[in-house]
Amino acid sequence: MIKSIKASKSEKILFTFLISLAIFAFTSFFLLKNKCLFVEKNNLSKLKFNKPNNIAVMNVECGNVIIELYPDISPKAVERFKILIEQKMYDGSTFYKVSENTFIQAGDIEYGNINNLDYSKIGSGVSGLGLLKSELSNDFIFVEGSVGFARTTDFDTEDSEFFITLKEIPIYQGEYTPIGKVIYGLDILKTIKKGNKAIYVLRPDYINTFRMFKFN
Amino acid sequence: MKILILFILIFHISHVNAGEIYNLIKIPNLEIYKLKNDNNIRYLSAKGNFKIGVNKNVTCDKVNINNLNSKFPLIEKNLNLYNSNFLNKIKLKYIVFCENLFISEINTGGIPDNKNRTLILDINFNQKYFERMIHHEIFHMIQNSYRKVFDENEFSSFNEDSFNYAECSTCSDRLNLDLYENTDGFLTEYSKSIPSEDMAEIFSFLMVNQNIINEKIKNDKILSNKVNFIKYSLAKIDKNIL
Repeated sequence: MIKSIKASKSEKILFTFLISLAIFAFTSFFLLKNKCLFVEKNNLSKLKFNKPNNIAVMNVECGNVIIELYPDISPKAVERFKILIEQKMYDGSTFYKVSENTFIQAGDIEYGNINNLDYSKIGSGVSGLGLLKSELSNDFIFVEGSVGFARTTDFDTEDSEFFITLKEIPIYQGEYTPIGKVIYGLDILKTIKKGNKAIYVLRPDYINTFRMFKFN
Repeated sequence: MKILILFILIFHISHVNAGEIYNLIKIPNLEIYKLKNDNNIRYLSAKGNFKIGVNKNVTCDKVNINNLNSKFPLIEKNLNLYNSNFLNKIKLKYIVFCENLFISEINTGGIPDNKNRTLILDINFNQKYFERMIHHEIFHMIQNSYRKVFDENEFSSFNEDSFNYAECSTCSDRLNLDLYENTDGFLTEYSKSIPSEDMAEIFSFLMVNQNIINEKIKNDKILSNKVNFIKYSLAKIDKNIL
């Protein structure tokens, strides 16, 4: 007959500790590693928009980012942005330039696509649609979620690259062409992968699809 | 090769504060000092030391904020002499304040950069010449934007035939900024270095103390021609500056 042995108090504590450690390790590895876990996905069928013609939907790893475009402020820039979206040229475009809690940048069609990422030339690619004249507004304030066309150090060099601000940046007022503003999905953008101390990101996150909103 | 370029790119950028201001004017470690001004100029200050330029040959140290606060009213007063339309034309929007500014290990008061619409100023520059230095550097921005208007050959032709400028502004020992008693065609020793410095010296005196110039040109035909050239050329850009 086997005699049952009662665990001592210290053995119980050790056992409980090991179980807790295993649970912690499991959750850390499978749950907390998922950066999208606590981010709202933005179900399009449940959202209503005042100007549905000017709504663009950017799908990234963690869900949909909804952007309202401002053709009244920058008509040419928004027209170009819509063409790039409708021709699906932003699909696969990487967020190769990320300044933590400040801005994220994507849209290099030529060298910044996830399927053709060229770090030696990134940021200098063109869309093939030509350069745009800057449409600057001294009244437009770049707040959290503002979307603007990127350019070189010279004005009138906008093409396809765009940035989204993650905080208010007053110094950008009158410096960059505004395109629109993120109205849903800022939390999603904050999960976009950052560089390790650098502004350029290795193995960056990218845009799955970028489409104009379809409404009935 | 691409991996090497990527490594270099990341290594270099990882050591700078690559925030929103860096993204705009390519100078790291800056913060806003004063943003809203009547002539739309924006003042930035170095919150940390920085190195920029080819081979990082431009270096400057962070500002002591009390030092800057004490000198800012004088700087602002001088920059308020320029209207926003004129500043747009000469591509000047950002003034960067720092201390101990060096270019290729040569101490300097200011460095103009038309491409980034920026003028870097060393707030510790000799106070005796500080106001003039501001306008002197601004003239370089004017000339950079209007090379044909401020033609150096035409300007040089006012000198006596026997006079020759140096090859470059720092490759001569003509560096003194004090006003000559007897001008003889040149306001300062530094005016004799190269034509653009000569023009910049005249412009700086015109902005700070026109009376001195008016007095000097009475008996100096060469200087008088040069001053008229600067005034006439400047009027082509903006009639209200002088």
